[in-house]
Amino acid sequence: MSSQQILVWKDTLKKVSEILQKAKDSTICYCVDYDIPSDIKVKEGMITVSGKTFVARFKISSIKQYKDQEGCIFKKKDNPRTCIEISKAEEIQEDIVKYEELTGMSIEKIETYSILRPKEEIKIELKENPLDKLDPEVKSTYDLGLKLGYNLPINVCKDLVAVKKKYNVTDKDYPELVKATAEKYQENLVDPFEAVGIVGAQSIGEPGTQMTMRTFHFAGIAEMDVTLGLPRLIEIVDARKTPSTPSMTIYLDEKIKNSEDKARELASKIETTTITDIADLEVNTTEMYVKIILDKEKLKERNLQKEEITSKLKKMKLQKYEIEEDGYEIKITLDEPSYKKLYNLSESLKALQVKGVPKIRRAIVKYDDKKKEWVIYTQGSNLPAILEMDGVDFARTKTNDIMEIADTLGIEAARQAIIDESISTLQEAGLHTDTRHLMLVADIMTYDGTVQAIGRHGVSGKKASVLARAAFEITSKHLLNAGLIGEVDKLNGVAENIIVGQPITLGTGAVNLIYKRGD
Amino acid sequence: MGKYNILKHELVPAHELLSKEEEEELLKNLGIKREQLPKIRKSDPVIKILEEKYGPIEPGRIIKIIRNNSRTSGIYIVYRMVVGE
Repeated sequence: MSSQQILVWKDTLKKVSEILQKAKDSTICYCVDYDIPSDIKVKEGMITVSGKTFVARFKISSIKQYKDQEGCIFKKKDNPRTCIEISKAEEIQEDIVKYEELTGMSIEKIETYSILRPKEEIKIELKENPLDKLDPEVKSTYDLGLKLGYNLPINVCKDLVAVKKKYNVTDKDYPELVKATAEKYQENLVDPFEAVGIVGAQSIGEPGTQMTMRTFHFAGIAEMDVTLGLPRLIEIVDARKTPSTPSMTIYLDEKIKNSEDKARELASKIETTTITDIADLEVNTTEMYVKIILDKEKLKERNLQKEEITSKLKKMKLQKYEIEEDGYEIKITLDEPSYKKLYNLSESLKALQVKGVPKIRRAIVKYDDKKKEWVIYTQGSNLPAILEMDGVDFARTKTNDIMEIADTLGIEAARQAIIDESISTLQEAGLHTDTRHLMLVADIMTYDGTVQAIGRHGVSGKKASVLARAAFEITSKHLLNAGLIGEVDKLNGVAENIIVGQPITLGTGAVNLIYKRGD
Repeated sequence: MGKYNILKHELVPAHELLSKEEEEELLKNLGIKREQLPKIRKSDPVIKILEEKYGPIEPGRIIKIIRNNSRTSGIYIVYRMVVGE
């Protein structure tokens, strides 16, 4: 793999022709003003001038640190750092698109150099079927149940196996036990046309009344606000685009999860830092300039170098303005007196993000006593970006933003997240609701492949029956619309049958008596 | 696609694409029409990964989902029908 790596950089046409000419018959040294780690093993290089095509390709015999070698070509006269030995060069015309395809990176973004590596082939490993991993005894119990005509849940099979071991049930008696259990299980199943929705609504609603109406307190993490209690529960079933206090729990991978320093380092990489966090802005309206006064202490605290900030400033398209650096002060002077421009400049400087993952305002490192590892908690959530980061154990990393989970991990993950979040919210308040009710809510919310709210804008608003919709909220609008387009109500549901005064399609009301006419 | 495989995330259960024959058998056993199954969007991130493995998955196909951490029954199998955007 390493031999296929190619060094890529941007250069001027003049330099390229110089290299091409000199490297024709002898090895030359090309010195650049930046560091290239010598442990990178590249044997080939390519140069681009315009950023659209590569113009030269050459062989690299070695990459060394610059130590006054002779007969070198310099990219820039001052401060040479690395010496690239070029043994053979040739002119080429190669489209850059291939490069971008391979690396997924735009050549425009190359600052100094970049290494082209063939994209690693992504192996698509499907998750293995958990049924294949089952304990053989549990599996045989499950199969036995199937043979007897019952589809027993795996957890029941596990219990059966445990009971068999505990009471030394013989193999002869075992089918008998399975059969008896299965019959009991069958009796306890919800009957067809049972009103599970209303039972679920009651079961969640009743403990909900005991929850505090407004609780904004700490979830055991110092200085971190997390919405809990009833507001959070409402937030979950309302399927809000973003929760009021988005937060993430980031687990670290094996290598660094026991090191506090590494965890803190990663946290500082995650936390967003804007210019205002590390510097004072001084706006001078008489001389038309903005001065950034960097705070040395704060820079150190956040592990930042001054150069990082100046390089960020360079990317801000400030070419028109004059930038002066004086120690820890950076002065940006406008080209023409304009208050609007000055205001815009200071505003965009304030918003300039120097470091960190977008949307994550804070990151706190804490030791998890139960799991015996360091964990990062954040304020703000950005799941796709965090999952890409090195050092993050992405399999366990979580967010409380259900919509974000649906977008990055899919609808099934969102369903699981709804269940987990609502259970933990209820448990936090010391309430115990049967999981089945919350599972029902999650199933309904994710039924059509997207996360829908319970309520007017979601599930209830999409009912097939006009009368059912009208019975819920904004009655007149639904009735009027239905009248305009001539909607038909087949009276299949519950609400519409109550309205017209017929037996509802629940329980015994769902049974229709049909008789066969004797010929 | 990112460098991580979202199928490895613990929130994501195993997804499998059913063959046409399996689909027929399933619908016969359940005694329902295809449209009565819960849905999964074609734009769902998991479907996109499945497409890299199986090629394009047209709406109407059925995905078998094996939930591993069901709180009530342990392992549970559900099916979702693929729908367009």
